Amino acid sequence: MLKRELILRNPVQSLAGESESILRAGHFGGILARAGVGKTALIVQIALHAMLNGRNVLHVSLNQPVTRTNLWYREIFGDIARQMRIERAEALWEEILPHRFIMTFRTEGFSVPKLEERLTDLIEQKIFLPRLLIIDGLSFDEPQREALAGLKHYARLNELGVWFSIRTHRHEEPGPGGLPRQLLDVEDLFEVALSLVPAGEEIHVNVLKGITLPPEHAHLALDPATMLVKSRIP
Amino acid sequence: MKKDIRFVRNIGISAHIDSGKTTLTERILFYTQRIHAMHDVKGKDGVGAFMDSMELERERGITIASAATFCEWKAHEINIIDTPGHVDFTIEVERSLRVLDGAILVLCAVGGVQSQSITVDQQMRRYRVPCLAFVNKLDRSGANPQRVLDQLRERLGHTPVPLQLPIGLEADFQGVVDLIRMKALYFDGDKGQTVRVEEIPAGLLEEARARREALIDAASLFSDELTETILEERPVSEEMLFSALRRGTLERRITPVLFGSAYKNKGVQPLLDAVCALLPCPEDVVNEALDMDRGEAPVRLSSHPDEPLVALAFKLEDRSYGQLTYVRVYQGTLAKGDTVVNVRTGRKIKIGRVVRMHSDQMEEIDAIPAGYIGALFGIECASGDTFVSPGLSLTMTSMFVPTPVISLAISPRNHKSEIGLSKALNRFTKEDPTFRTHTNPETGETIISGMGELHLEVYVERIQREYGAEVTVGAPRVAYRETITQRAEFDYLHKKQTGGSGQYGRVAGWLEPLAEGDFEFENQVVGGAIPTAFIPACEKGFRECLAKGPKMEFPVTGVRVVVNDGASHPVDSSDLAFQQAARGAFLQAYFKAKPVIQEPIMKVVVETPTGFQGAVMGSLNQRRGMIVGSQDEGNFCVIEAQVPLAEMFGYSTVLRSLTQGQAQFTMEFLAYRQVPQAIAEELEKKAAAQKKNVA
Repeated sequence: MLKRELILRNPVQSLAGESESILRAGHFGGILARAGVGKTALIVQIALHAMLNGRNVLHVSLNQPVTRTNLWYREIFGDIARQMRIERAEALWEEILPHRFIMTFRTEGFSVPKLEERLTDLIEQKIFLPRLLIIDGLSFDEPQREALAGLKHYARLNELGVWFSIRTHRHEEPGPGGLPRQLLDVEDLFEVALSLVPAGEEIHVNVLKGITLPPEHAHLALDPATMLVKSRIP
Repeated sequence: MKKDIRFVRNIGISAHIDSGKTTLTERILFYTQRIHAMHDVKGKDGVGAFMDSMELERERGITIASAATFCEWKAHEINIIDTPGHVDFTIEVERSLRVLDGAILVLCAVGGVQSQSITVDQQMRRYRVPCLAFVNKLDRSGANPQRVLDQLRERLGHTPVPLQLPIGLEADFQGVVDLIRMKALYFDGDKGQTVRVEEIPAGLLEEARARREALIDAASLFSDELTETILEERPVSEEMLFSALRRGTLERRITPVLFGSAYKNKGVQPLLDAVCALLPCPEDVVNEALDMDRGEAPVRLSSHPDEPLVALAFKLEDRSYGQLTYVRVYQGTLAKGDTVVNVRTGRKIKIGRVVRMHSDQMEEIDAIPAGYIGALFGIECASGDTFVSPGLSLTMTSMFVPTPVISLAISPRNHKSEIGLSKALNRFTKEDPTFRTHTNPETGETIISGMGELHLEVYVERIQREYGAEVTVGAPRVAYRETITQRAEFDYLHKKQTGGSGQYGRVAGWLEPLAEGDFEFENQVVGGAIPTAFIPACEKGFRECLAKGPKMEFPVTGVRVVVNDGASHPVDSSDLAFQQAARGAFLQAYFKAKPVIQEPIMKVVVETPTGFQGAVMGSLNQRRGMIVGSQDEGNFCVIEAQVPLAEMFGYSTVLRSLTQGQAQFTMEFLAYRQVPQAIAEELEKKAAAQKKNVA
């Protein structure tokens, strides 16, 4: 009951529409923003939404240790629980925690085949069967098409939705169709793309492709104090 | 004994097991001429390193009890506490850190910052102990000092400032470049005793200059004088640089890093120089005691030897000629013949022999002045006691003591062993607050409890070796608990009014889960339904029910009791009647409050070569472990998991065989969590079978 309420009242749910998950199996989603705008905060909220729905999330972080990644989850979950006045938040946290697995790599040591190898290890030994994969910190400044196409194939085979945080740069002009340069080469692999854009005191969450927001949540933003998703007045 | 406190250093050598700290201590003692021969930890010569004074430590190659020793280096007197390396013995590490002013964090150039280093670092942070890092084993194949520096920054959050640059690495490791004096140092002689100072090799000059720039840059944050000198492009003097680095080190804002190989006798003397130059003297450290007469208000202590005495007994050892008590004097002087007061017991004690320890050898002295560490003979006290001059009522801050999570039954095989066992338990419980003992009132068995399997194993072995007691031990038992999960009401009348004096008491109210703490009692009775005089009896009655839970006879925790109504009889009500009524009320409500069993969950951190990652994760998964995450560190990875203690017995053997002995793990208590239904049922079955056996 508590969990259901938390899922439904959470504005992140509006990204999922009627269904339980925002991304379907085998689909790619990207969150694009400049450094420090809130990519990790949003991606963690999406992960928590999945965990509350009972779906296993594998969070792959490049260059952030496990403790720091865990801290992101604790803080965002704590903020959500406080905002929604959830009692016994600690018990709920312990209940959803088994749905998360953090894997961290050094950027220089990371490669898609290596990730696939680790994932296969987890899946074959039935240690953890992820339904959602989060990749935070992969650089899209270098060409990634081949690796991402391989991962797409793997995601389809294993019925995984994959979210990426994608760092853009202030000085770069967007490409045709308003898409950031980082996505141009791999746009066809991504079914969903969201961008975070600072606007005054708020950070707007804009849909670039793949999601139709319901009319009551047609405009979303990140609250700069808590970095939680909220509806905004246009 | 030196009288100038500025030349005193009380330091600890803390590190991960096998990073070479005992070897390093051995070399320090050799170069400071406290010993005249060197031995290895797992020595072929059968002597073993000097600081590992216990036979068992020598055998296992680990340091268990911290032996205190002192040495002199360039007019400085250095008191060293060799600290244990395994996480099960961290109470020893914590105690050492409490009495130390500074520390050397020894890191292995091959293994880097490992999980035990993280635990030790957290402890140093808790006690705000400034430290130097010594990157050891640079001669080993796979040594990578840069990676250790990165890990110091990333994994421990330090700001490492290298004071040296290694000359060569692995088999080619020759010496170090001193970035402060800009000289190359080589260590000659068969024991590295002669430090040869040369010009920096041409190939390293450019890198050395760049590193020195970075060093000066880091130090300039702590000295305006140094910043001005840099801006005015004047030469930076050694003194100026040391003074800035010292300030940064004392504030714990930088960690100076030195390099070497203790085993190959390289880099130890510059480390000693750095200890003298950069670590604090007792005067630099603010020590506070608690004033018992003023509600434990903190009182700042002065390090003056003429002030009234305040000293802390931080370690006890049983020697053939009586108890040896290690003390650190914080204020005043502790001298032979003095009369002091043990604050805990209020007893007066006459100080007999005062000694200065050198591992297991000793030197008689007359007094221990403020800031010094020494030892006393023939004093009856417990570890953690404070000694003060008569008239003072100060106590040193209580130390953080974790609750034991594991226990086992121990029984002597014969009468002679019974005496030995009793003596040993008496001593060990005094020495180590995390090691406890009690008698099970039903079975009459003696139960020992502690912080982990190895912790208890070591004590059992010590009981056998040091006291010659032959003992039989039972299987280790986990300290389960019971708690309730929902509110339940009670209304219980205890009435016995037939024959003799009567008993009458009624209590009503409810039980509910308590998020923090073991037990809380609230009296909401109005209008004298229960006379105020009987309220403490009610509380006592409820409290007594906690020791043995009605569900599985485990201790009950996390319960709040609210009493809001009741009834009494003018003649037949008594303390006893209300205690009985409370017991009845507790039983009445307990099962309605849906009790559950909780078990200790441990935070387990395994470091393994990447190739064994899958196997290690599988082994944790099999043990009902929840894997929090895995961190890839190049050649090896760190897996963090939360595993029930009950599943961790014998894990070290399993891990060793799974990984060809290349992985290691640490384990510490995390929290109590509910036992899954299937396991709870199994426990119930076991308990029932045991009861049958006893009957």
